[in-house]
Amino acid sequence: MFGLIGHSTSFEEARQKARTLGYDAFADGDLDMWCAAPPQLVERITINSPTGKSIEGAYIDSVFVPEMLRRFKTAKRKVLKAMELAQRCGIDITALGGFTSIIFEDMNLLREQRVSAVELDWQRFTTGNTHTAWVICQQVETNAPRLGIDLGKARVAVVGATGDIGSAVCRWMQRRGVGELLLVARRPQPLAELRDSLGEGRVLALDEALAEADVVVWVASLPQSLEIDSARLPRPCLMIDGGYPKNLDSKAAAPGVHVLKGGIVEFWQDIGWQMMEVAEMAVPQRQMFACFAEAILLDFEQLHTNFSWGRNNITLEAMDRIGAASLRHGFKALELAPADQPAPALASA
Amino acid sequence: MVMLSPNTPAADQAAADQDAHPDSAPAGGEALAGLPDFTTDRYKDAYSRINAIVLEGEQEAHDNYIALGTLISDQAEELARLARMELKHKKGFTACANNLGVTADMAFAREFFAPLHNNFQQALAEGKVTTCLLIQAILIEAFAISAYHIYIPVADPFARKITEGVVKDEYTHLNYGQEWLKANLETVREELMQANRDNLPLVRRMLEQVAADAAVLHMEQEDLMADFLSCYQETLMEIGLSSREIARMAASALTA
Repeated sequence: MFGLIGHSTSFEEARQKARTLGYDAFADGDLDMWCAAPPQLVERITINSPTGKSIEGAYIDSVFVPEMLRRFKTAKRKVLKAMELAQRCGIDITALGGFTSIIFEDMNLLREQRVSAVELDWQRFTTGNTHTAWVICQQVETNAPRLGIDLGKARVAVVGATGDIGSAVCRWMQRRGVGELLLVARRPQPLAELRDSLGEGRVLALDEALAEADVVVWVASLPQSLEIDSARLPRPCLMIDGGYPKNLDSKAAAPGVHVLKGGIVEFWQDIGWQMMEVAEMAVPQRQMFACFAEAILLDFEQLHTNFSWGRNNITLEAMDRIGAASLRHGFKALELAPADQPAPALASA
Repeated sequence: MVMLSPNTPAADQAAADQDAHPDSAPAGGEALAGLPDFTTDRYKDAYSRINAIVLEGEQEAHDNYIALGTLISDQAEELARLARMELKHKKGFTACANNLGVTADMAFAREFFAPLHNNFQQALAEGKVTTCLLIQAILIEAFAISAYHIYIPVADPFARKITEGVVKDEYTHLNYGQEWLKANLETVREELMQANRDNLPLVRRMLEQVAADAAVLHMEQEDLMADFLSCYQETLMEIGLSSREIARMAASALTA
């Protein structure tokens, strides 16, 4: 059995969703009430692979909302309690979605293995980052050529390059071969180390990189206040919004700048669930975060282990492996909508 | 090209928090790291009420299990066994108070338990096994388990050892009520819901009443509530109620 731990993108949205799902008491509750509320197993799901295999899973809402991020203890408890619930329900492999894995990582919850009476078994959890990284790389490789961008010559900027997903994307792009890697991250020291380990790439500030990049992979959380001057971006420009939350399209939209939601996959058939509507997927019956899909894939493959865990442990071999499983079980990386692609004549011009 | 402006909400906080390394720089008011000073008058004063609640709770539990034995007579022996354990716990916690040189404020505790006590007595008089079990074997036990779990890391070494022993026993009590209700779920569902509506808000009020004293012991109200509710929810899940029923039941504690 697989599990997905998710949450709403804002308190307001969470309340609305609670109303539509019939949780009226939650819809009426204030933020303090939500802080004290325990995680909820909201939905049980059956998923069928094109291989004929069928698996069962559960969606757990941690009853966390981003408004709680400043309450460290609350945020921490939300994540641990949701994991405790997943383990108690006997779920073999659970993906930590949205802020769940970010909180887990940043608050160093590895130290908090004991939750009340339960000793968390880390083997039962995955960040899903390997699959997310693989999907983002697929999205670059598939969509850049459609915009007339020759990846072999293109400058590819990775914003958040030193993170778990970012560094994996850098290594993948290096193996694939791109014109030049532009490395952007907040802290200089890990950036220098990444540059050394790759043996290539140019370290740049964000605005310098944006002025040069044909492809921008965003895998850092963007401050709401970040403003991008699209006039200075090269054209065409492919932007993969792989951060969380996904809010890049509102910032960078301009003719010739193509923003694609990164790390999203589409399943080969409808899934009878309600929860992806919460995540504002365009096709909620089929689309989901790639990190969630990783738990599904690991369950299909009977790989009940923390496939993605810790920081900067993602290998190219692991990406190849999860990528092959992804294709085998009917997942496809989200692509640019046809309207977003230039006419063929234009593209070849 | 890239400008940062103070324009807020969620994502900003996320970015800020990710940089802030929360554990090295805790936010004001939320950090209660480390153990309290067990020797201060303030601590002992708070302890005199918290400890009394625990003693009264264990005594109530003893009396309630004996009383339940009159309703489920074929299990009177097992219930008497549970009851004896509660008295043993009471002794242990009395020793904790003595160890700190604190006298428990029993008058406060009896008043504290009165509403729940009265509801139990009324259900007992009406022969309502389900309501009695919900109050004692589920609500009170879940409350005790979660409070003990939160207490253990901030307790003095003597009390810590005793509480760790007690909490293991309390699970068996919770389990008793859980199994009975599970076996009888189809006939007791409606009464269970009503008993939840009548009693869960009382638990919340009780929690609010001790919040200030609990804080002196470095136990935070939100943690107590959240832990109690997840323990309660898990029990309801084991009993066989649906996710939605459980959420609705738990919510009556939060919105009452």
